[in-house]
Amino acid sequence: MSSNRSASEIDEEAADWAARVDAHGLDVEHDPQVQAWLRGDARRAGALLRAQAAISFLDRGRALANVAPAVDTVVAERPSRRTLIVGAGGAAAAALVGGIGLWTARPQRLDTRLGEIRRVPLADGSLVAINTKTALEVAMKPKSRRVVLKEGEAWFQVAKDPDRPFVVAAGPVRVRAVGTAFSVRRGDEAGAGVDVMVTEGVVETWIEGGPTPRRRLSAGSKIVLVSAVSPTVAESPSEIERSLAWRNGEIALDGESLEQAARLFNRYNNRQIVIDDPVLARERFVGLFQTNEPESFAAAVAATLGAVVSDDERTIRIARARIS
Amino acid sequence: MKQSRAEIVAFVGGQILPHEADVRAWLRRSGSLAPDIDDVIQETYCRLAGLESVAQIANGRAYFFRTARNIAIEKIRRARIVRIDCVTEIDALNVVDDEPSPERVVAGRRELGRVQQLIEGLPERCRQIFTLRRIHGLSQKEIAARLGVTENVVETQSARGLRLILRALSEATVQDQSEVGKAHELQSVRKRD
Repeated sequence: MSSNRSASEIDEEAADWAARVDAHGLDVEHDPQVQAWLRGDARRAGALLRAQAAISFLDRGRALANVAPAVDTVVAERPSRRTLIVGAGGAAAAALVGGIGLWTARPQRLDTRLGEIRRVPLADGSLVAINTKTALEVAMKPKSRRVVLKEGEAWFQVAKDPDRPFVVAAGPVRVRAVGTAFSVRRGDEAGAGVDVMVTEGVVETWIEGGPTPRRRLSAGSKIVLVSAVSPTVAESPSEIERSLAWRNGEIALDGESLEQAARLFNRYNNRQIVIDDPVLARERFVGLFQTNEPESFAAAVAATLGAVVSDDERTIRIARARIS
Repeated sequence: MKQSRAEIVAFVGGQILPHEADVRAWLRRSGSLAPDIDDVIQETYCRLAGLESVAQIANGRAYFFRTARNIAIEKIRRARIVRIDCVTEIDALNVVDDEPSPERVVAGRRELGRVQQLIEGLPERCRQIFTLRRIHGLSQKEIAARLGVTENVVETQSARGLRLILRALSEATVQDQSEVGKAHELQSVRKRD
């Protein structure tokens, strides 16, 4: 290394080059001037990559501004042909609809399979993140935006449009928003209730045909709505963020029992975690795991507790190690 | 198979750079000095720049922590006098990358908000240009015409904005730091009732 410039000086030069490359669409690998600069110091290649990466990082902000929605898909399994078409065609469909000036009359159907997690931009600029084994229908009308959550869980980041309320229906439960972000989850069993968690802004919830008055919920609150039972509201922003770790394909544990953790993993995978020992099942854990890697979770549990894991195609069995 | 530069840049922008503040905070906790940290970070990017493909990197965050740790250890070993506690300290921290805590998840989730914050934190002219270029996707020429300035001014301001953003990205916020601190304490902790 010929130059004794500091890392931060190189970073500043690299920013200038990255801005130039971006402005003129230069080809880094073949542009003689860029190459000459890079050859001057071995560290420059890293600094230029970092500066260009920062530009790319900032471009992710476009998704926020709803200008050019990007389709960002996290899949643990191969998506079905149909979901692929919907996913890739989302932006094109939006452009088409906008161009003709008509709203799609037929609702758009979005499904995920076991273990699949998708982010899909909607025609109005909103974004929906769909968790494992979920089915929903989206109907965009001139005066309303309506989503029916048939099963599973989804998180919505709603584009502001005061003239077109955004309403999510989950059974008899309704959640209405103007410009905000929230998630709705239907319980697995019939009559299990609907969880609503608000991450930004304010939403209004009610039970269609029910006696309870409408309730307003602000960011950081969670409500569980079960028909005929008065809803409970809890405030816990960090808890909500943790419950929504699935949007990144992750499960965040903070003191859950092994039994609860196993149930969380089993929502995403064909291979089910089974715990044989009731004492083991009550052990509590903290950690972050991938939804589609129950094996590494089991391995971490085994290492921490001195348990043994035996697995076959369908199950991952965690048991207490025998004392020899 | 060799990947295009654009693919590698996009990967680094999405999977590596957002974790830089955390890696720096972690190096600071292990007792490294600021100029050394700058060098370790820069060398990590250099190694990435030397790769033909990043397809084999499954977890960018883990890769970043692991590579930075290896480089830091190499640096310590290259130094004439090796402080044993330095090596062991960095060695002891190697669990960080595999099991980030819920707190860190929250930090990651704020990523997009952070992009907006970064742009909003720029001086007025820079911010205007950055918004037009990055958010609205206008070309340098279009921006110059719209703002009634020369293309040269747009380019200079873009470079200036990028410098400021790069600096901001390497500085963890106070909040981030406390989160990372907590995260470390929570590392592989098993709760008992």
